[in-house]
Amino acid sequence: MSVFDYNTQPGFDLISETPNAGTTVDPKEVQLWFGPQHPGITGNMSVQLWMEGDSIKRGITHVGYLHRGFEKLMERRKFIQSFPIVCRMCVAEPDTTEYLLASSLEELSGLDKEVPEKAQWLRTLIMEMSRLQVTLMVLGGQVGTMGMGTAPNWTYTLRDFLLDSFEELTGGRVYHMYIAYGGVRRDLTKGFAQRLEATLDLIEERLPYLDDLILNSAVFQARTKGVSVVPTEWADEIGITGPTLRAMGVASDVRRDYPYLKYPELDFDICTAEGSDIYARTKVRRDEISQSIHIIRQILQMMPHEGAYCAKLPNMLTWTIPAGMTYTRAESSRGEMGFVMVTDGSDKIRRVHLRGPSYTNAVTILERMLPGMNIADLSATMVSLQTCPPEIER
Amino acid sequence: MFDFNHSNLDENGNPGAEIVSRIHDRFGNFPVHVQKPDLIRLNVPQTDIIPLLSWLRTETPFVQLTHLTAIDWLEEDEFELVYLITAPSLCISLMVCIRVNREKAEAESVFNLWLQAETYEQELHEMFGIHFPGSPRQGVPFILEGWQDMPPMRRDFDTVEYCNRTHPERPGREHHDSRIYVGRKFGEKGYLK
Repeated sequence: MSVFDYNTQPGFDLISETPNAGTTVDPKEVQLWFGPQHPGITGNMSVQLWMEGDSIKRGITHVGYLHRGFEKLMERRKFIQSFPIVCRMCVAEPDTTEYLLASSLEELSGLDKEVPEKAQWLRTLIMEMSRLQVTLMVLGGQVGTMGMGTAPNWTYTLRDFLLDSFEELTGGRVYHMYIAYGGVRRDLTKGFAQRLEATLDLIEERLPYLDDLILNSAVFQARTKGVSVVPTEWADEIGITGPTLRAMGVASDVRRDYPYLKYPELDFDICTAEGSDIYARTKVRRDEISQSIHIIRQILQMMPHEGAYCAKLPNMLTWTIPAGMTYTRAESSRGEMGFVMVTDGSDKIRRVHLRGPSYTNAVTILERMLPGMNIADLSATMVSLQTCPPEIER
Repeated sequence: MFDFNHSNLDENGNPGAEIVSRIHDRFGNFPVHVQKPDLIRLNVPQTDIIPLLSWLRTETPFVQLTHLTAIDWLEEDEFELVYLITAPSLCISLMVCIRVNREKAEAESVFNLWLQAETYEQELHEMFGIHFPGSPRQGVPFILEGWQDMPPMRRDFDTVEYCNRTHPERPGREHHDSRIYVGRKFGEKGYLK
């Protein structure tokens, strides 16, 4: 069933968004735009709602406020010039797209076999640090949508300490451009591991307090248990991945199912929960914070201290890649992210298309969950699905 | 659903060999390219795509549509549609590719097999002008609201020409020195000396 079945009720023309001639409009129905300027919206998007009281009858996701044509831009640039573009595809988590760009083109050019051991460890490190900082941000954002202000202040502070580590390692707090073809751009600075370890200790120390504020809070439980349940039969029909799928009790993770980088050598659990509601998705994220800390500590212990961090590269101004097509995937904090990458033997990308979990979460899933939802739960639902507009529009 | 198990592996231990042989038995010998152990590419005639995808969806473990995208082969006057179908239980993906004529860009919708295909098809219609008859969101604006020009992801869409035409440069002010500009505008002649 299409979500547009909700809109094809008598007398409504979807394309012009007006009632058809000769029909009457339900006088109790109010049309409301939730976003794009709204503190509860998750970025530059909006949801057009048809309301009856505070209950949502139906709704449509609108994007288009942030389309930058990145995929088109990348078709007109040399391979090395795409790094400042891809990191902006998802603002909060740039390292996943950097890795996808590097690994897909390395695979098509045959450079993947030359990536040094140490570079693979450093890539794994920054990918996991990235997952950790986003998960902290979303955990705080989740309770923030319910008017609980303390936990977001704590989690954002902890995330900021991690951003200090990113700045030390890459020079940038938000956009890193650390992963490069053949490896990474620089080695760890002296004492970096100790400083990162201290930040991890601090985060770990604060987690029990965060549990009391979030998962053990009676208010949070009342607002989230049994709310916005994603039916398990949607998993295959809609292609759900990431925490939304794991909150259904399915132990699925790209890091385990399609091993890449150094994840097969690391010991970690796939966090799952039961219920498939907002509480379950929040619990999965809370547990993943502990797992990410565990993974980063292992990386710092196991990675070699000596060795090259980047392979010998061809001249980037004249580098051409043979014709080919591949799909590369990685586990972002929201679920499976992937690049369909096509090259044609020239010095530019022929076609690249990002597959992001927000694409289905913000449109297909959200629109189907809206009918019957209370408007007060909408923000919390969107954050729990981690809808990320920059990734939808690119 | 047929019995698809890990006991039937090829010499490299990849279960992908079995699904390829089953497809060949049922639909004919399509060109196959093993990109990597968990990714197999099939080039399929356009007429076979719906029977093949329906069979994969209902009778094999390939139950998820991970992605749907298009590539513009302008030189060959064709679009290539790429359906990425995944078997979560086997951790393998099939990249099923079809070619459609660029002049009459049209393909059957797979919305009845996978719900989220409606959004992918909506985007491809908007960005490439590929029509999917029966797809519920066809014609509904998605990213480009009120777009009147050629679909912008086509290779022959000239971004620079479009920008120059749609957003022409304004004449600008005569002087870049703000002191002179303000002086002339507000008559503070003292600044102009």
